[in-house]
Amino acid sequence: MAAQTTTLEQAQTMTLKPRPAWYETWLRFSRNVPALLGLIIIVALIFTALFAPALAPFDYAKTNLDNVEQPPSAAHWLGTDQLGRDMLSRLIYGARSVVFVIAVVSIISLTLGLTLGAVAGYFGGIVDTVISRVIDFLFAFPELLFIFFIAATIKPGIVGNLKSFALANNLPWLTEFVRSGYADYLVVMIALSILGWGGLARLVRGQILALRENDFVLSAECVGVPAHKIIFRYLLPNSLAPILVSISMGLGGIALAEGVLAYLGIGLQPPNPSWGIILSDNVGRYWREWPEMLWLIFIPFVIMAAVVFAFNFVGDGLNEAFNPEL
Amino acid sequence: MTIEAQTRAAPAKLEQKAGGDNSILLDVRNLKKYFPITQGILVQKKVADVKAVDGVTFHVKQGETLGLVGESGCGKSTTGRTILQLYRPTEGQVLFRGKDLAQLKGEELRQMRSDMQMIFQDPYASLNPRMTVGDIVAEPLEVHNIAKGKERKERVQELLRIVGLNPYFINRYPHEFSGGQRQRIGIARSIAVNPDFIVCDEPISALDVSIQAQIINLLEELQEHLGLTYLFIAHDLSVVRHISDRVAVMYLGKIVELTDSRALYANPLHPYTRALLSAVPIPDPIIEEKRERIILVGDVPSPVNPPKGCRFHTRCPLVIPICKEVAPEWRDVGNGHFVECHVV
Repeated sequence: MAAQTTTLEQAQTMTLKPRPAWYETWLRFSRNVPALLGLIIIVALIFTALFAPALAPFDYAKTNLDNVEQPPSAAHWLGTDQLGRDMLSRLIYGARSVVFVIAVVSIISLTLGLTLGAVAGYFGGIVDTVISRVIDFLFAFPELLFIFFIAATIKPGIVGNLKSFALANNLPWLTEFVRSGYADYLVVMIALSILGWGGLARLVRGQILALRENDFVLSAECVGVPAHKIIFRYLLPNSLAPILVSISMGLGGIALAEGVLAYLGIGLQPPNPSWGIILSDNVGRYWREWPEMLWLIFIPFVIMAAVVFAFNFVGDGLNEAFNPEL
Repeated sequence: MTIEAQTRAAPAKLEQKAGGDNSILLDVRNLKKYFPITQGILVQKKVADVKAVDGVTFHVKQGETLGLVGESGCGKSTTGRTILQLYRPTEGQVLFRGKDLAQLKGEELRQMRSDMQMIFQDPYASLNPRMTVGDIVAEPLEVHNIAKGKERKERVQELLRIVGLNPYFINRYPHEFSGGQRQRIGIARSIAVNPDFIVCDEPISALDVSIQAQIINLLEELQEHLGLTYLFIAHDLSVVRHISDRVAVMYLGKIVELTDSRALYANPLHPYTRALLSAVPIPDPIIEEKRERIILVGDVPSPVNPPKGCRFHTRCPLVIPICKEVAPEWRDVGNGHFVECHVV
């Protein structure tokens, strides 16, 4: 009995110093300078997007034709564009577009990718075959072509219906959403996500195929844990590391896709600010006047590149933190 | 195969009579588990079967421990897992309290799982590294709706205490424990739902020798207090002798000899059992010196293509011509001592 009391006391003192499993991972991650820098950029991006109205010194859409194409100054830190709009404010609001796209696409493709990948890997058989063939089909499909197709065919109809629905039901926020052009964007983004979940699903499927033969999964089956709980409690948490790395890498690609779509004119529509729109406005107009109009092209370009690199560095950092033996 | 099935069916009845109907908890009849080997890229074609378990018949009485021994790859673990329906049997019946588990599906089978549990071999692989000890032990209670909230937490603490762990460990993760402690966590998880029957799949072979005895003692205590019935799978013969009431010896997917443990160790009949027992060292140098070793030649044949006739004839020191042609019958040579051999 006395022996047991000592062990209890020992245990209590030991419990005072918990060592969470993720702490080591964070230590390794925080030693990686590019990854940490990337994380700071991402946090800054999200912060900017959330508080754009408070941060922007001017109205992003307000033109001032007396004050066009100005170089950086005390009033306009990054100068003005061909309509005299403040570049800094436009870039700050542009962050909203990127974050919106990343949020929508990652939520949809994460949900589809994780669920379908896990289901394919866990159940196998005919379910696996069907899901895997659908993924093959998605991989073979030209992404941009599909998005152009959606933008040209069903998008106007959907947005039109949404608009009349908003008016009929007297929903001012929905009317505003449609008017701002984000409704068009949402349709395009959903199309992008529908194409984009395949890669993640394949990764998840592979992870789960490898894990499901493990004894602890067998023990769950033996206890009678239902399939969905086995997937979400046993299989996905244990394949989290490669999934997180892949997601982080993928987000950089999504941020880039946002720029590309806006640049090509199927994303957000002017006068709404998106870095892709700012670039396409300015590149077409000023590329001959290089280097005098440098800031109008160079700054949005650098910001976009920084965001894409930030996600990739974070992905790399996570990869190294999860696999210290690499 | 039909002939074989018939020869299997008859002794099953015999065995039932011998044991007395009421006391039989688990009755396994002609259980087979084949794993298909497939080939082909687009269309998977079955080319052969790995006959991991190829017709085993035995029963386990309420409250007893049945040892199942045999060398690696002979199908011991597969038998255990097929009984628990973790692998669905290819053929045969698994009657648990008279109900054929092989016929159960989905929710019905899930409900039955609270009556039978498993203790795994490798305590490092059998606990989910992402769950706390408390969650691991509470999960069976949760999925079978046994206790809720505070009551569940108390039950988990009680279970940890029963298996000799400190209830303060409830919020720790498995990687913070030693092998023996992890095995205790696994045991707490498997007794959480008050099962009647537990398959112990080599529960101590991954542990240090000093810990092995503790776990064995724990299993025996639990059996006594909770009225458990064990199917104890092992390859350590002295451990099996210690814990089992009866012992079944398995070779290449079949049980070759089954009797109560004292009789088996005192008077082994099957040549394979004799060879197996002769390998157990005796902790007495004088007797050990005189110990007669029966060394088997050759390897275990492949379970994909087991030998015709008696499966042991390729390595048997007592082989006679009939062994190569006709599979021996599973017969009772007296006092519930079953053996499958032409020579005995």
